[in-house]
Amino acid sequence: MNRPMSLTGHAIEHLSSDFEPWLSCDDCFDQVDQMIEGLALHGLPIRGAFRAHLRGCPACREEARALLTVVAEDAGLDVAGLVAQFDEFVLTR
Amino acid sequence: MVSEAAIETADPGEWVVPLSGGGPEYEDAVRRLHALMTRAAGRYVATSALARSLGGATRDDIIQSSADEATVDVINKLSTFENRSKFTTWAYKFAILKAAVEVRRATWRERSVDLLAIAEPVEEGASPHDHAVTSMLSNALKRSIDTQLTAHQRRVLVAIVIDGIPIDVVADRLGATRNAVYKTLHDARKRLRRDLVAQGLIEPPTLKEAAR
Repeated sequence: MNRPMSLTGHAIEHLSSDFEPWLSCDDCFDQVDQMIEGLALHGLPIRGAFRAHLRGCPACREEARALLTVVAEDAGLDVAGLVAQFDEFVLTR
Repeated sequence: MVSEAAIETADPGEWVVPLSGGGPEYEDAVRRLHALMTRAAGRYVATSALARSLGGATRDDIIQSSADEATVDVINKLSTFENRSKFTTWAYKFAILKAAVEVRRATWRERSVDLLAIAEPVEEGASPHDHAVTSMLSNALKRSIDTQLTAHQRRVLVAIVIDGIPIDVVADRLGATRNAVYKTLHDARKRLRRDLVAQGLIEPPTLKEAAR
């Protein structure tokens, strides 16, 4: 049985965006600790395939953001500021 | 019960050596690791928007089961830890993954997910967005979804992007892994984008954008 489909502005933006280069969820999981520490403890930007994957995969993005929160708390860093920085690196064009 | 203050977070030697051995040091390290996993899972559940719709008992169950499973995963995968990050950061990700997947599953457990009902584009003019600036792109996307994707790609893409069903829930219902579902989603979006570029509706990525 089929059903009607309508597109929200968010869906249109998502569907017309570029999510290359390819990175799998498993590879993202392998890298996430190193990448998140790089941002939290060394101020390194999130780039390349890892960034593209986080833009395209809401589940991995949410988990990476949660990891950043815990790591920042451990280090006594500005959690809200780092999360904002994370969102800027990942979600802005 | 290990207090938060007692949780060691800095030195990999505090973890890898005792967790690789046996005896009282091993038992103590497992207890400390479980406390670490409980904290990470608890932090995820406390801040997850989805988890707010779950009852307190369900949230507590998720935290405990996630901590238990993550503790086992970390011990089983200890040989893959390569010191590319702190041990604690590496370990946290196992607890967060477990908790996140369980929260998504629990939230959608009672909801109907009909992946067999293939979404069809609505008639032009029926969507509010047909009157917006993006109407041309919206209509082109609907046509592309209908003509460029396989039935499986359409089901996955519509479920995740349009219906907002979490990827883990879609994977469960399809009997697939998150990895496999993401690959399907990725390929579907690639086809759509290629079609939109061919129609001149969007620009192909520049080398600079591709390298970002």
